[in-house]
Amino acid sequence: MSRLIVRLLGGVGLVVLAAGMVAAHVTPPVVLTSDREAVAGLLSGSRRFFVREVRLSSPEREAIQKQSGWTPSEDFYRFYLGRDDQGALVAATTFMTEYTIHGPVRVAVGLGPDGKVKGAQVVELTEETYPWVKPLIDQDFARDYVGQGSTGRYTLTDRVRAAGDSMTQFYGQVIVSLIQRAAILYDTTVLKRPTSG
Amino acid sequence: MNGIFLGRLPLSGKVFCTLYLVGIGCGALAAFAQAATAVGLSPAEVQASLAPEMPMTHMGHGQMSGEREIDLGQISKSAKVWIRTPLLIQTSHTHLFGMTLIAGLLGSIFLFSSLGEVKKTIILAMPFVGTILDIGGMWLTRFVWPPLGALVITGGSLFALGYVLITARSLYEIWLQKELSA
Repeated sequence: MSRLIVRLLGGVGLVVLAAGMVAAHVTPPVVLTSDREAVAGLLSGSRRFFVREVRLSSPEREAIQKQSGWTPSEDFYRFYLGRDDQGALVAATTFMTEYTIHGPVRVAVGLGPDGKVKGAQVVELTEETYPWVKPLIDQDFARDYVGQGSTGRYTLTDRVRAAGDSMTQFYGQVIVSLIQRAAILYDTTVLKRPTSG
Repeated sequence: MNGIFLGRLPLSGKVFCTLYLVGIGCGALAAFAQAATAVGLSPAEVQASLAPEMPMTHMGHGQMSGEREIDLGQISKSAKVWIRTPLLIQTSHTHLFGMTLIAGLLGSIFLFSSLGEVKKTIILAMPFVGTILDIGGMWLTRFVWPPLGALVITGGSLFALGYVLITARSLYEIWLQKELSA
């Protein structure tokens, strides 16, 4: 009987080990700020707020894919627009997400009426990615991309590159690409469409 | 089972089972706290986290754009996780493996309970059924009918109830029940 128990406990130990290995891959999400806080911050100066939702036509999807390599897959995309009392556009904000092997990275991007980047804020990532992204947040990485439009240069600047190790640089590129996608999306669906305003 | 009962395990076996059950209990409490803070524990909160995003404008199917004025108060102020399909896939595969392994190990210990077969079978099945309801409910909420978010709560509760019953009965048999006749 004791041999049976030893075998049983050995088997149990293996199962525990396997469970531990599986559990190690579960990385809980980390939400750094609420959507409302991000929108309020990036649309600061606005008096009235609007939501504009857009669908991409097939030619628009193809053009975006050709321009950036990104294939938009959502049914629709949402912009939050801030206007002044006269209705003139002050700024726009949208949320972009990339699903990496370590979980989602979600960024709020603020854009001016001309489609130029005004700022960006990481709003959600995972416990595993947070230590890699934190140096970028601490250095206010988005500052280096302010003023760039849809055709801007979205590569890591020396300052961002020096912020951390290779994983920090990897996630820096992920976030910078999300900023670029927001600029391209705004350009395609707001600025280039006849009903834009 | 075959004359081997929890109460007859050697001391090392008793300590092992006890620590495992306590450890899983601590993990379950942490998971409960994580679910409460990241998603919420009410059916409405689960539904809000899992259901597909609906347009805030009155943009109909096939329309290319829509716009309307909003108040900032209409934008979510809570820092909650919105579980989109890729995250649902990731969550499903890790939780199905992890929770089934935990349920399997709980069941492995409980197989040696001296409880009657029918009761033992029902209690032992709870964490497995709870896991399937929990993860299955997430997919049904997203792709079939958002109110099925209640299944996620039901499944999680069933898993927890199974754990509590297994742990309570096992610890009782290990440390308190008097020796059974063989």
